[in-house]
Amino acid sequence: MGLLSANQPISSYIIQTQEEEIKRIALELHEGVGQNLYSLYTGLQFIEAGTGQPQLKSYIQEMARLMERTIQEIRLLSVELHPPSLSSLGLLPAIKSYTKLFTSTFGILVEIESKGDERPIAEQSNIAVFRVCQEALANAAKYADTSRISLQFSWDQAEVNIVLKDFGKGFDYDESSPSQSSGLAAMKERMLLAGGTCAISSKIGEGTTIEISLPLRGDSGDQRRAIVDKNSAC
Amino acid sequence: MDDQSIVGECKNLLSEISCDFVGVALQDEKGLNIRWHYAVGNANEKYRLITVRFGKGIAGKVISSGSPIMIEDFPNISYGKPLEQPIMLAENLVSSYAVPLFFNGAPKGVLLVGNRQKHLYTVEDQNKVREAASSLEKILILHFASGGL
Repeated sequence: MGLLSANQPISSYIIQTQEEEIKRIALELHEGVGQNLYSLYTGLQFIEAGTGQPQLKSYIQEMARLMERTIQEIRLLSVELHPPSLSSLGLLPAIKSYTKLFTSTFGILVEIESKGDERPIAEQSNIAVFRVCQEALANAAKYADTSRISLQFSWDQAEVNIVLKDFGKGFDYDESSPSQSSGLAAMKERMLLAGGTCAISSKIGEGTTIEISLPLRGDSGDQRRAIVDKNSAC
Repeated sequence: MDDQSIVGECKNLLSEISCDFVGVALQDEKGLNIRWHYAVGNANEKYRLITVRFGKGIAGKVISSGSPIMIEDFPNISYGKPLEQPIMLAENLVSSYAVPLFFNGAPKGVLLVGNRQKHLYTVEDQNKVREAASSLEKILILHFASGGL
């Protein structure tokens, strides 16, 4: 714990830098590469309409189909890297959007319930909570052998609490695989760096519960990052 | 021809090569998404909700390449990350062998056999899966023509 405290500013800085880079790449893919490909796609359609040679027409149509597929891939990759709804609409809509993708990918239904009014969260804390939820859902898909997950949000003036239950086979925390235990440790550390907490409990046969809590006032994570930014500028 | 013929073909294959799961995935008529339409030996109903994109997952890779794919020891030996193989996770499969289903000369579907224990598919097993795929192609082409999917 002492080591974590000493390394907190560095870890926080690395995570923030990584997230900024991911966001930049996602935006560049969507607004730059994606838009250019769309221009090429419309150009191909224009050429196809103007040509009278059946063989060439068919070839251009095939190219246009491939281009369309590539545009779709770029768009989805961009959203997967950094969901745009997180910045524009907030945590809850972003999670709802992600769980739709999660259900259609893994076949696991996610029931979301939210109590209280959603409150704005600082961007870095927002992304931290989103990533921890993403990791928790991915862990459930990988290890829980479950068909449904419950995700409950409770908002009040001081904090947001999120409880994720997977109703799966559960596991023994002490005997979890190295990749699983490092994933769980990373979730806890990420929440600590954001100024919140993440508690994980599991019982064999009864599933796993993950409780995330984030204070909404006096965001210590942002304060810490401001200090790191100030130090790194020196 | 109806769904029962397809399920029947899958059941025959299940008993013939002693596997635990047989599934048929088909690419949507419009768009590039691929869904699991039929399954026997399934442990749950998750396959019904799973949709993979062209080129993703074992079904997407088989359709995009037009070639069979074998996974011997999931998740230890796999194509990409375990999360990229949703049907293996959903059905707790350890080994699988998947072949393309061709319609009008293009791969548009997948026949997958899987086992929940480590399993090596012999050449004989692979031939039986290919034979079943040929039979399914004949059934499914009529299904497509009648707008059954």
